[in-house]
Amino acid sequence: MILPGRRIVEGRAEGSILVSERALSLLGGVDPKTGEIRDPESAIRGERVAGRILAVPHAKGSTVGSYVLYGLRKSDVAPAAIVAGRAETILAVGAVLAGVPMVDGVPTDLLRTGDRAVVDATGGAIEMPLVRERPVVSSFLEREGRILVVRRSEEVGSFQGKWSGISGFLEGSENPEDRALREIEEETGLTEVALLARGSAVLSRGGDTVYRIHPFRFHAPRGDVRLDWENVEYRWVDPAEIPGLDGVPKLVAVYRATLP
Amino acid sequence: MDLTRDEELLLSEGTPAERMSMKILATLGSVYGADRLIPITGAHISGASPKTLGDAGVEFLEEFATTAKVRVRTTVNPTGMDPDRWRELGVPESMIQTQERIVRAYASMGVEPTFSCTPYQVGHRPKRGEHLAWAESSAVVFANAVLGARTNREGGPSALAAAVVGRTPNFGLHVEENRRATHAFDIRIPMRGYRWSLLGLHVGEIVGDGVPYLRGFTGTEDELKTFGAALASAGAVGMFHVEGLTPEWRQAHAEGLPPLTVTEADLLATRDRYSTDGVPEAIGLGSPQLSADELRAVADLLDRYRPRPRVFAFTNRTAKAEAADAARRIEALGHVVLVDTCLEVSPMELWARTTATPSGKGAIYLPTLCGQRVVLDDLEELMRRFS
Repeated sequence: MILPGRRIVEGRAEGSILVSERALSLLGGVDPKTGEIRDPESAIRGERVAGRILAVPHAKGSTVGSYVLYGLRKSDVAPAAIVAGRAETILAVGAVLAGVPMVDGVPTDLLRTGDRAVVDATGGAIEMPLVRERPVVSSFLEREGRILVVRRSEEVGSFQGKWSGISGFLEGSENPEDRALREIEEETGLTEVALLARGSAVLSRGGDTVYRIHPFRFHAPRGDVRLDWENVEYRWVDPAEIPGLDGVPKLVAVYRATLP
Repeated sequence: MDLTRDEELLLSEGTPAERMSMKILATLGSVYGADRLIPITGAHISGASPKTLGDAGVEFLEEFATTAKVRVRTTVNPTGMDPDRWRELGVPESMIQTQERIVRAYASMGVEPTFSCTPYQVGHRPKRGEHLAWAESSAVVFANAVLGARTNREGGPSALAAAVVGRTPNFGLHVEENRRATHAFDIRIPMRGYRWSLLGLHVGEIVGDGVPYLRGFTGTEDELKTFGAALASAGAVGMFHVEGLTPEWRQAHAEGLPPLTVTEADLLATRDRYSTDGVPEAIGLGSPQLSADELRAVADLLDRYRPRPRVFAFTNRTAKAEAADAARRIEALGHVVLVDTCLEVSPMELWARTTATPSGKGAIYLPTLCGQRVVLDDLEELMRRFS
């Protein structure tokens, strides 16, 4: 798949991704001579950045951290490229000093350490040839202030046993709303539903797939829920309970995307 | 971002340091959505001590300095040590050698050797409306809030780039509407002593990168300096307003903001988050560096109390010369007054494991930069308690 980004420092690089899930402190956090991550709070402590594509939400700590990237270049252990969620002064200046191609505006939680990627910083994109993108719909039904969630069966292809909205793959050039209505009818038997809101797409990583989730919220005033094979349990929950459920990835974000 | 012909020329035909500086400014301009570069009247650079610069930074500076000259008045932050006192205080010679390389690199670029985090108290005092590129977060907040000058919270490298080009990207606090209040606070307690630090820490934690508007007190320049330093350390704050006091409070547009009340209990809770109950081996003062008035106040307190921990008073050459008598009185009692450096970039770890300070900024940086446990309290109370 291809993720668009914004060019910060031009250039192109190919390599294996190293993801720092949390913001990284460069001064004191990365050894400028060896490129080893030393930040004791980092989950990737001990990894080396040399020749890899460093993916990080943003940098934190001292602004003098930019000089560390320059030091990495001098010692020939600089990363091949930087992919940031949000460029800020420390990383952007560091990438200029070190001449490392850099893009930002990329949701780094979609990337995994070990992903192969081509960073085209000049064009502003990152391509991951081995990761595929699949569009899905996910709908929340609302009745008297409560929200319907379903627990996925062991028979479905992904996220078995997790709580979710009513979900399904989008085929070809199908209209997402039509697919959402069809999934609701198949998985709950409810046909009397009215669209309340649709949210902008939420991206979520699972295995080698990035799901492009189209979120919907429908009013379902009456009728009994009859599950099919895809789910084993349902609940009408208070919206405040959703974050506490053992849910599919991004369940809360997808629900929130349907709120005004 | 649009570049002028002169700027394009510097990007393509300048010296290596000029090309790199232009590229840094152009990149930051596009990252933050600036429309253009604007001329600045002054720059202030952070990163002058071995501790804050690191080996990579020293190597960068030396190479950069071979083709760089600053185009505007440029001052620089404290170094890691008073150059006249390192031997008697047991500072390793290797650190002094690194320090000398840093000092030489800045001097060769034409940077004034002020080595102060309070440039506005050593003669680099911009007027209202002047555009600057200042690093050193406590000086940034003072320049914006108290002087009404305009600067973003620059990093060391971006302030250096701006000094070499004489320009900075036009965004953030250079733009009128970004200087307006985002949060309002009613202060219902008398402000004095280290409450300025506690208020700064408390408000900084709440506003993050916002612009606080405060009502209910007035203060001296040094008190606002202490408050602003704590504010800028606890949050990413670059600007504040005090009703009836700071120059832009009438333009702050704070009318519709629901005011938060700050109580004594809030400040004590803040103190407890930053302070331990250890016994200090040192009392550290001067984060930011002490002014002449503050040095005199320290000397007067030492007439009344005889604290057992050694007092380390950090200041600059300007203040020490102006309050020379106070400095002598402090040292005559076995305490030290150091210039060209400050509380947290000096090697405090050589002299203490627990340091007491009334400085909120010190309380934030002493643990990370100097490995210290911190006792945060009022200066007079510290001197009384540890006598």
